[in-house]
Amino acid sequence: MAVEWYLVLSAMLFAIGATGVLLRRSPLVVLLCLELMLNAGNLALLAFARSTGTQDGQVFALVVMVVAACEVVVGLGLIVAMFRRRVPLNVDELRGLKG
Amino acid sequence: MLIAILCVPLGVAIVAALLPARFSAPLSVLGSLVTLGLTIALVVGFDTGVPGLQYVVDESWIPGLGVRFQLGIDGISLFLVVMTALLWAATFAWSAWRLPDRPKNYFLMLGIGEFAVMGAFLAQDLLLFVLFFDLMLVPFFFLVGSYGTGDRVRATIKMMVYTLVGSLLMLVAAIAAAVLTAENTGELSFAMADLRANVLPEGSQEWIFLFFAAAFLVKMPSFPLHGWMPDAYRAAPLPVLALLSGVLPKVAAYGFLRVALPIFPDATVEFQDLILVLALLSVIYGSAMAFTQTNVRLVAGYSSIAQLGFITLGIFSLSADGANGSVLQMVNHGLVVAPIFLIIAILAERYGTEDLREMGGAAMRAPVLALAFLIVTLATLAMPGSANFIGEFYILNGLFDDQTAFAVIAMAGVAMAAFYALRMYQKTMHNRLPDGVESREMSLRDASVLVPLVLVIVGIALYPTLILQRGEASVQDKVGAVTTAQEESELAARP
Amino acid sequence: MSATGFAWLVLIFPLAGSILIGLGYRRWSGRTAGLIGTGAIALSFASSIGAFVVMLGEPEDARQLTSTAWDYATSVGLDIQLGILVDPLSVVMCLVVSGVSMLIHLYASAYMVSDQGYTRFFAYLNFFVFSMLLLVLAGNFVLLVVGWAFVGFASYALISFWYRRNTATTAGMKAFVINVIGDIGLVLAAFLIFREFGAFDYLTVFEEAPSHFDPDSGTIVAICLLLLVGAFAKSAQLPLHTWLPDAMEGPTPVSALIHAATMVTAGVYLIARMHPLFELAPTAADIAAFGGLATLIVAATIALVVTDLKRIIAYSTMSQIGYMIVAVSIGAYTAGIFHLMTHAFFKALLFMAAGSIIAAMAGNQNIDRMAGFRKAMPFTSFTLIVGALALAGFPLMSGFFSKDEIMVFAAERGGMYWIFAIGGYAAAFLTAFYAFRIGFRVVLGDPCPEAKELEEGHLHHGEHANPVTGEMEDTEVGFPGSEHHIAERAPGMKIAMAVLAFLSIVAGVFQLPGITDSIEEFLAGSFEDSALFHIVPSDESAYLGLLVGGFLSIAGIGLAYLAYVRRPGLTGRLRSRMEGVHGFLQHKWYFDEIIDFLVYRPVIRIGQFFNNVIERVLVDGIVSATVGAVREVGLLVRGAQSGFVRAYALLVLGGFAALALYFLVVSS
Repeated sequence: MAVEWYLVLSAMLFAIGATGVLLRRSPLVVLLCLELMLNAGNLALLAFARSTGTQDGQVFALVVMVVAACEVVVGLGLIVAMFRRRVPLNVDELRGLKG
Repeated sequence: MLIAILCVPLGVAIVAALLPARFSAPLSVLGSLVTLGLTIALVVGFDTGVPGLQYVVDESWIPGLGVRFQLGIDGISLFLVVMTALLWAATFAWSAWRLPDRPKNYFLMLGIGEFAVMGAFLAQDLLLFVLFFDLMLVPFFFLVGSYGTGDRVRATIKMMVYTLVGSLLMLVAAIAAAVLTAENTGELSFAMADLRANVLPEGSQEWIFLFFAAAFLVKMPSFPLHGWMPDAYRAAPLPVLALLSGVLPKVAAYGFLRVALPIFPDATVEFQDLILVLALLSVIYGSAMAFTQTNVRLVAGYSSIAQLGFITLGIFSLSADGANGSVLQMVNHGLVVAPIFLIIAILAERYGTEDLREMGGAAMRAPVLALAFLIVTLATLAMPGSANFIGEFYILNGLFDDQTAFAVIAMAGVAMAAFYALRMYQKTMHNRLPDGVESREMSLRDASVLVPLVLVIVGIALYPTLILQRGEASVQDKVGAVTTAQEESELAARP
Repeated sequence: MSATGFAWLVLIFPLAGSILIGLGYRRWSGRTAGLIGTGAIALSFASSIGAFVVMLGEPEDARQLTSTAWDYATSVGLDIQLGILVDPLSVVMCLVVSGVSMLIHLYASAYMVSDQGYTRFFAYLNFFVFSMLLLVLAGNFVLLVVGWAFVGFASYALISFWYRRNTATTAGMKAFVINVIGDIGLVLAAFLIFREFGAFDYLTVFEEAPSHFDPDSGTIVAICLLLLVGAFAKSAQLPLHTWLPDAMEGPTPVSALIHAATMVTAGVYLIARMHPLFELAPTAADIAAFGGLATLIVAATIALVVTDLKRIIAYSTMSQIGYMIVAVSIGAYTAGIFHLMTHAFFKALLFMAAGSIIAAMAGNQNIDRMAGFRKAMPFTSFTLIVGALALAGFPLMSGFFSKDEIMVFAAERGGMYWIFAIGGYAAAFLTAFYAFRIGFRVVLGDPCPEAKELEEGHLHHGEHANPVTGEMEDTEVGFPGSEHHIAERAPGMKIAMAVLAFLSIVAGVFQLPGITDSIEEFLAGSFEDSALFHIVPSDESAYLGLLVGGFLSIAGIGLAYLAYVRRPGLTGRLRSRMEGVHGFLQHKWYFDEIIDFLVYRPVIRIGQFFNNVIERVLVDGIVSATVGAVREVGLLVRGAQSGFVRAYALLVLGGFAALALYFLVVSS
């Protein structure tokens, strides 16, 4: 199968993720959409790796997965902490760092 | 030996910060006295008449960048180091008698300050000098910022902005000097001796010199770069101010002698007139401002500007007697201005104000305090017979030979000094007491700090040769570097 | 012991006395401090005599001795020793200074005894004597400046001794600042001398000067003019004289010691000491002489109208020092030093008598209120008249011989110098008049209330008011309380005044034309290199001069008798007739106002200008402008930091998209 199909799928996934990040207000969903974007990237990396026959892309994908895992740990931790403190779970209201 | 002088203040400060708070004051005083003892031992073992460095320490530090941990002392820095140790001991003792809040933090910062100043005086590697010079700012930032009075945050920020700009310029200049020299020699080295041996072409010398000069002139401070001074002086706690005004400006003036003259001799000749004009303006401007101030601190502050102007005049007279007078005057001014601020601290406690117009009559039942203040005042106005007079005499005599007009105009500053210094004395000590204030002698604790300082002032007044003769050889060496450059350029100019 | 050994002792005793009195300030009770002080000066005087005797035993050409204690400030080619020069001139000065000081200390130890600051007073007074002797004995220019400034400081400390008075502290400040201007003149002269000779040492400079300079060349004139700034500031000569009348705020013994007998004569000593330089610069010497002449006339005219007893004597001092300045500037060194000596005697005596009278008047110093003290205070009245006679140059008194010698010498030099003789004689007439303006008004006439009270046997104890402002004094601290002392009741004062009265009468015998010339003979050791020193007026002209002087003196006294005793209304009518002149004199020729306008106010204005304009606009303005610019830019970009996470995400995406687009465009 040609690499293009994988790339199209990857681009669609990335676009869906990006739309979610931009449109949804719940931090949990934003986090999920971020994961989606990361995995879209992973998909593209793996596709290229397969098509060129080298291992570099796979190594990159592994690194991205590690980063994603860390990010989820921190992100979910924050969300749980906010929930416990009864902070409204709405990214539009979390704007304490306004300049 | 020099390592010990650096390590004792820092080590004691750290140990005191780790122990419970009640140990910090006595431990710090003890540490500063040990440092003082070590510096006096330096003087005893000093070899008069040797122009070069003594007690040299030379260790590899950052070999990749050509930075070495080089320490040394010569006739220029010898008594500055002693003066630093003495004033720090006085400030530690003074602060120990009237403990500030959070003493651990306070004494830690003071200790770091002493470490940094000592380092700046001892460093013989340009980058090391710059690092110590910048490190001085850190403890004073915290001391003024968190122990000050009034609008201390604003004042601290202003001081930081001014001095940081200067410091960054200096850092750039130091790196440029080393890198440009390396282009000629092929070896990167920040050692002052190496830089001096391979003088840069005049074009690059000039801008590097100006960067250094900017940093030094801000630190002094010199007109018109003194904008941070009034606010910082108003805000700083008085014992800290004794150091801020007594010691820190000397590092800048010392920097001119140690760095600017020998490493950038051509630029020094080129900009001699510019710096002389600035120094002269500082003398006149500082004196005239001290005339009109009503806040005692600012009278002393502006008088410092004038005095530093004299010191700069001496250095840039580019004559051995002028520069030697400056070395003496640096020590004198530090010794004199510190007790002034400590006495102001006593007076401020008595009167509850620092406004000259609301003071008066303090001498009535306090003859010892009045006498101490009188001696210090007379030394400030460089009354003949004081060591300050000998310092100014040397400076102006050195200036008189080639720049007669400068010397004559600077004399106006001497006359004005008589007026503003005596006015400060009279308005606090003489006339009638304000209502509700009682005149009383200073306490034994205060006397234990002030009396030794005054005795040192009197001692040096009787025998200024002690400092002059030890400075002689080194000063001639530094000034000689410039005069040879001057002669060479004159020779080259001739067809 | 050698002469220099004695000279060191001369210096050490007063210094030791001062330190001893100061250290034990809590321990000394009663008159102890006064005794220590007087004793120290007595020892110093004894050492002066020792130096004098040793020096007499030396051959005449070996009377210039130097001695060094230690390297004071020696490095990089500047050789400054703590060294003294002992020669006939300095020995004579030491004798006069320590001798008169000793008597004044004795007087003060009784006069000041009820002052709260008794101990402090003697510590200062001893320090002053030390400074003055240091000035006299200094062997180089730097040490001269040191002594010069110490004297100025001691004078400041003693003028503002009663520091609770605002007038006293202001007067002290004025004296100090004007003296510092004098110091600066000396320091600049020292710089010039060092540039020319490479040395600060007197003897080296004097030796090389004649071969180094052409007579009257620019540099040597400049050096001498700068020295004159110092001399005129210290000796209260025009236009640097305004501090001396104000200096009368100090206690009366201080006026006697510092502002009559010793310190103010330092300028005279300086010119005499520097005679090798001044003789090379006749222009400068003539300027000095004209300055002295102007002062002696101006001061004498002011003394005619002032009503404050001490200020009259102060103006008289200025005038008399004018004579001495004229003398040493035109080359009459012996006459100048001789007049310095006799003046020290009779002026100190006048001040002591004035102190006694002021005590009887309970601090009031206005001569309009004084009258008829002859019965109440016979001894004081007697000494006052003796002092006034000597001041007036009454025949056979000491002032008679010393003053006329100056005029005779001026006439002998002839030419332009006749002006000094004529001006001097004119002022001598005025001197006689104002001397007896004091003498007759205080001694003769109907007793004033205070004198009457004293005749009945008790001293008037009024409220102490500041004689200048009328403000009530704070007598609790640092000011003599209701107790005060007059000569009739205090043996110490009486002895000192009696000795001085005796000297004022007979001191002329040291130098009688044609009979004795002991002073000239002794001073020859210091002045033999001088060409002018060997001009000696003939005995005939000397006696002719004395005749003229004696006549003028008697005429002046007679006029005063007429004006104040025979027809007391005369001066009042004269005053109303010449309102303008009187006002002009009363304002002291407007010198204070002119200096205030030309110097003080401009300096204050400049300070205010710096404060209001430069500090605000230039120094703070530049910084504030920079800070402001940074803040404005910050405000502009601040809007982007909205805090909306999604907006940030959009920006990131948008930026990413833009980059991608850019690369696409570039690559295609």
